[in-house]
Amino acid sequence: MESIAFLFCFVTPYVAAAAFLGGIAYRLTVWRQRSPVPVHLSMFPRPESPLARLGHALVDTFTLKGLWKVNKPLWVGAFAMHLGLLSLLLGHVRTVTDYYLLWELLNWGEEQQALFSHLAGIVAGVLFMVPLVYLLGRRFAGAVKWISVPEDYLILLLLLGIAITGNHMRFLVEVDIHQLRAFLQGLIFFRWAPAPASAGISFIYHFAMVQLLMIYFPFSKLSHTIGTVLSKMVARS
Amino acid sequence: MLTRFLEITRDRINRPLQYYQDICVRCGACMDACHFYAASRNPAHIPAQRMMLVRKALQGERSWLNWYRDADRADGRQVSEIQQAMWECTGCRRCATFCPFDLDTALLVSVGRYALMNEGTGLEAETGHGMILEIGNAEISKGEIIEDLKEFYIEQVKLLEKRVQDEFAPDLQIPVDKKGAEILYVPLVGEHATVPAAKIFHAAGADWTMSLFTATNHSFFVGDMARAKQAARLILDEALRLGVKAIVYPECGHATRTLLSFFENWFGEEIAGIERMNLEPLVASYLEQGKINVRAGAVDTPITYHDPCNLGRNGGFFEEPRSLIRAVASEFRELEPNRALNWCCGGGGGLIAVPEMKETRMQAGNEKAEQIRRTGAKWVVTACENCKTQLGDLNEHYGLGVEIKGVTDLVADALIL
Repeated sequence: MESIAFLFCFVTPYVAAAAFLGGIAYRLTVWRQRSPVPVHLSMFPRPESPLARLGHALVDTFTLKGLWKVNKPLWVGAFAMHLGLLSLLLGHVRTVTDYYLLWELLNWGEEQQALFSHLAGIVAGVLFMVPLVYLLGRRFAGAVKWISVPEDYLILLLLLGIAITGNHMRFLVEVDIHQLRAFLQGLIFFRWAPAPASAGISFIYHFAMVQLLMIYFPFSKLSHTIGTVLSKMVARS
Repeated sequence: MLTRFLEITRDRINRPLQYYQDICVRCGACMDACHFYAASRNPAHIPAQRMMLVRKALQGERSWLNWYRDADRADGRQVSEIQQAMWECTGCRRCATFCPFDLDTALLVSVGRYALMNEGTGLEAETGHGMILEIGNAEISKGEIIEDLKEFYIEQVKLLEKRVQDEFAPDLQIPVDKKGAEILYVPLVGEHATVPAAKIFHAAGADWTMSLFTATNHSFFVGDMARAKQAARLILDEALRLGVKAIVYPECGHATRTLLSFFENWFGEEIAGIERMNLEPLVASYLEQGKINVRAGAVDTPITYHDPCNLGRNGGFFEEPRSLIRAVASEFRELEPNRALNWCCGGGGGLIAVPEMKETRMQAGNEKAEQIRRTGAKWVVTACENCKTQLGDLNEHYGLGVEIKGVTDLVADALIL
């Protein structure tokens, strides 16, 4: 067990980071190598100026306007999941460094910071996990089942696993943020520190699944994260 | 099986289609957008599934990962599903308006049809795409025999001109092959696309001439862009030979799309000095500038407008046809939904040319028929030949008891000279 924990804490993170960055570079290269369509494939109505079109594409991307128009339950699920994910990513910044400037501006002490982080973490964790259950559930019903492939289930299960172990650490275990920060900073700056013992085994599962996701990310449909605006600009060319 | 299909598809997957392959999350937003799927509940009609069928075929059966990639066996069932996915689509792009990534099924179908055509899967008769191909070829070869046809054609137009003079205005002219005219109007087969335009041009005092060719481009329907360009070149050459300032396309959706979206790329510098437009916005501008006048309230029958996909969602002309209709009709009712979210009539993408597809078309038009019924309108007006034919068939099939008309028919009948 010791050696497996060591492997996941100090060896595979570098493999995952390399696969993630290399994979994204590969994905972008594949897209670049494909010939662009030389004709206008515009959908209307569309704004006139190129800058306004970019703005239009960005607003569409972040509001999921199309889904809202055709399937409201799906919009609620997808929007809440993405919003939860974004909040969690922002929250995870605190595992490496801190929002020093923000705390100073708000004039919050250590206790207030901890309380806010805890509450925000609870909200974001629920916002992320509950829609995932819905999104997974609908894959088993009706016509969505016909169009689903194993990739769809795997990614949802992986995200759900990450959400459950993450929420476990938020709700049931007291994680020492300073321990965690020392560990992650150590990984980044090659000054290795021990894994946060306070988080228990949940941390190893959580961290391992995140690495798996990072490796799979560029080679799966998750690449929509980088492709959405590019694709939307084609429809506004 | 499907060897040529896979070769050609692999070769023709461009950047947007690569995005489609890689980023589609199969959320299913598109399934509620497709009139084919709404009518048939056939999974092969779900836009996301159309792409997945192609993707799975491309992946083939190559490795121990097949169970995971859900790779398909290359068998008769796969071929028939791909045939359905590619041919039973009108390329209306309604699905793309709901897709979180705006993925373009029409682009996929264009590539897929071309690849299937070259494969020769033995299902040609069933899908009837041979017919579209033949018409496309005829449009191109007309260029070679035009000198022999010209005299007869001009004679026929003169007869038509005489009739319109008697009925409308004695000094009306339908010029053909007139050098130095400002506008080259490219009609469709049949006088219904010529007469209203001639009346409107006459009333507006426009300097125009008729093309010897027609605007339709059936090679475009089957994704054969080289041939589509060949057919379009006949129009360009004629425009250059006559020295016109503008090419105007009639009430025809796909042709207008080729003119407005593809000509620039196909002909570059050659076309640069020539304006390109559709008849609807041109007539709307005549009305706005006071070049033509119409009797307001000339039509008091309840009337509705069907947005052709290629003029509305894919062309951006939502308000021009409406302004023309409102100018002459006192009771205009919108179809729900309309404009960018309008449902396709079910006959686009060349399907109208294929007799074997009639039943499929009628099924796919079910929702459109219901929408028309709900408006209670007696006239259904549209601005696309494909839509007109399909709506006419729907009218008969579903017993709607409506009349189908073109926007310019309405305007021409209400002109004040």
